[in-house]
Amino acid sequence: MAGLSIENITKRFGETEVLKGVSLDIADGEFVSLVGPSGCGKSTLLRIIAGLEEQCTGDIQIGGHSVAGRRAADRNLSMVFQSYALYPHLSVGENIAVPLRMRRMKGLQRLPLIGGFLPGARAVAGGIGRDVTLAAEMLEIGHLLDRKPGQLSGGQRQRVALGRALVREPAAFLLDEPLSNLDAKLRVQTRAEIAQLHRRLAATFIYVTHDQVEAMTMSDRIAVMMGGRILQCAPPDAVYEDPDWIEVAEFIGSPKINILPLEILSNGRLSLLDHALNLAVIDGSRGVASLGLRPEALRLTGGDSPIRGRVAHSENLGSELFVQIEVSGLEERVTLRAIPEQRKALALGTPVALDFDTDNALVFDADGARMRGLRHLNAATSEVA
Amino acid sequence: MPAIEPSLPVAKTKAVAGHAAKERRAAWVLTAPALTLMVIVLLAPVIIAGLLSFTNYSLGNSGFDWVGTRNYEKLFTRATYEKMFLATLTYVVTVVPVSVGLGLGTALLINSLGRFREIYKTIYFLPVMATLLAMAIAWEFMLHPSIGMVNRTLEMGCGTFLEQIWPFMADGCADRFPVWLGDKRYAIWVICFIGVWQGFGFNMVLYLAGLTSVHRELYHAAEMDGAKSAWERFRLVTWPALGPTTVFVVTITCIRAFQVFDTIEAFWPQGGGPNKSTYVMMFAIFEKGIQQNLIGVGSAITMLFLAFVMFLTLIQRWLVERKVHYK
Repeated sequence: MAGLSIENITKRFGETEVLKGVSLDIADGEFVSLVGPSGCGKSTLLRIIAGLEEQCTGDIQIGGHSVAGRRAADRNLSMVFQSYALYPHLSVGENIAVPLRMRRMKGLQRLPLIGGFLPGARAVAGGIGRDVTLAAEMLEIGHLLDRKPGQLSGGQRQRVALGRALVREPAAFLLDEPLSNLDAKLRVQTRAEIAQLHRRLAATFIYVTHDQVEAMTMSDRIAVMMGGRILQCAPPDAVYEDPDWIEVAEFIGSPKINILPLEILSNGRLSLLDHALNLAVIDGSRGVASLGLRPEALRLTGGDSPIRGRVAHSENLGSELFVQIEVSGLEERVTLRAIPEQRKALALGTPVALDFDTDNALVFDADGARMRGLRHLNAATSEVA
Repeated sequence: MPAIEPSLPVAKTKAVAGHAAKERRAAWVLTAPALTLMVIVLLAPVIIAGLLSFTNYSLGNSGFDWVGTRNYEKLFTRATYEKMFLATLTYVVTVVPVSVGLGLGTALLINSLGRFREIYKTIYFLPVMATLLAMAIAWEFMLHPSIGMVNRTLEMGCGTFLEQIWPFMADGCADRFPVWLGDKRYAIWVICFIGVWQGFGFNMVLYLAGLTSVHRELYHAAEMDGAKSAWERFRLVTWPALGPTTVFVVTITCIRAFQVFDTIEAFWPQGGGPNKSTYVMMFAIFEKGIQQNLIGVGSAITMLFLAFVMFLTLIQRWLVERKVHYK
């Protein structure tokens, strides 16, 4: 087990720059998710860490030692592939044994038929058999050891792939979208199991996914990648509640965060849809900005409010209700999270007014960077203005 | 057929039975054309040949006598047929492994190329597309003992160091180079060489197709698992993935090797090479059955030929179903 340090990695494929200087430190035993939309470079980064792809510039250190120029087989990392990449001609047990056979046996001992008779081969094979059984029991696939991958379900194959990764003790586990081929129910179950496995092994995990729910539920930290950069790397709650960039706020959270246009008035006060808010910027910036409001930050109000519109659509999830509201002056609908008791008041076409707490408002500047340190004005000042 | 419940009225049971009979009749009517064709074109000739192999029938004769297994006895006792089996076996045992191995080797090499892939593919596939009979004539010229390209090229090596290290060269320079097609020591090997030259391109194309189905991620998995050498990756990923292709390639090559005929007919139209050293089965069938009009013996060799090919096909079916489909 070891920590990892990624320093300023860049990668181009021909003209396209896929990674534009990515740095990331991962502590020993940490579970870090690389999450982002497809094409953001997360899989490429993982493959560079693994050594299957070579970076153009930058360095990777595993356990404090640079692995520059060291091939994948020598980096002591385990990887679980999206397609599981099981050897179809080998049984489950043999599949799990491959990494051990390759590392513990000499070339001649691995030969079919005669290999078993060479001195020492028996002892090594016995040790491998014990380790395979242990790994299989940990993943509850002990009864499948004699089957071929072709006879297994998707979930079972996934476990075999995990088994092959954890049968030896690598410096870190790399997982490349391992759940994306599973059905929704199995995905939720396996998610919990992988998180448990991580706690049990206390090993370093690097997990690539495009599914923000997976990242949120399993990780110690999430690295949100967009356009070849890591925009923010922080614990899940921080990424959700305190995003640094508007892209991060938009990517994390389901349903998506509401983004409303803001104007910065000459006195620094923020104005939403021609209503001055009790918020002001402290630096001298002017012009336009954006206001991010999570669906749960909005609430129904009877009083005066800048956000007024009609209910256009509602989704009842049983425990909660997501209501899309068409607001005059906005192109996109605003999503509100409501409780089931409010369902009656939110029939289609009902006019509603929405209010929010300025503490929950996330303000981003014109470039999409988060504006922090806003000045909260009290209600009295707002009356005057 | 669903089980008919006892509570059903008798009329309904009858109706169901009638319907089933109708369906059965329709099925026979629909398969009849294909079945008829199969019997006429495939099964009947085999059965007739089988029957004829127990007679002394000749084309044009009004009748024939049953001779029992005498034709088969001849096949297993006469020296000519011993030579036939030897030549056929030599050819098959040489050409099949060499052309399969070369086909796999070139396919792997071409697959590893970035550019010029298509050019190499075309070059190696050219002999497959060429008419073997025409190619045989070209080879005959090249192998001519005095004016042929092969011996001329070999003569250029005389007087060089090659003479010291290669006894064949020394002998050739001292006396003369082989009369390739007229020497019983070389004739069958020349035929084997041409067979490989002509056939391996086909195997290469089949292997290239097989290689496209190898999952790329498996190579990455193998690398992560610690398979460092190209040989390890080949054994762990490529070779197993090519299993079904290999079975098919080997079977097809075997059958084609049993069928070798054109080159021998072109080189030695009058009878199977020097001292019958290239007297292969297909040529024997042609000679006995067509040239000498000994239909009985020709049919007996044909039945034997059929048995070999059938045996190979059955092995292939067994292998494909049991071993290489990994289910």
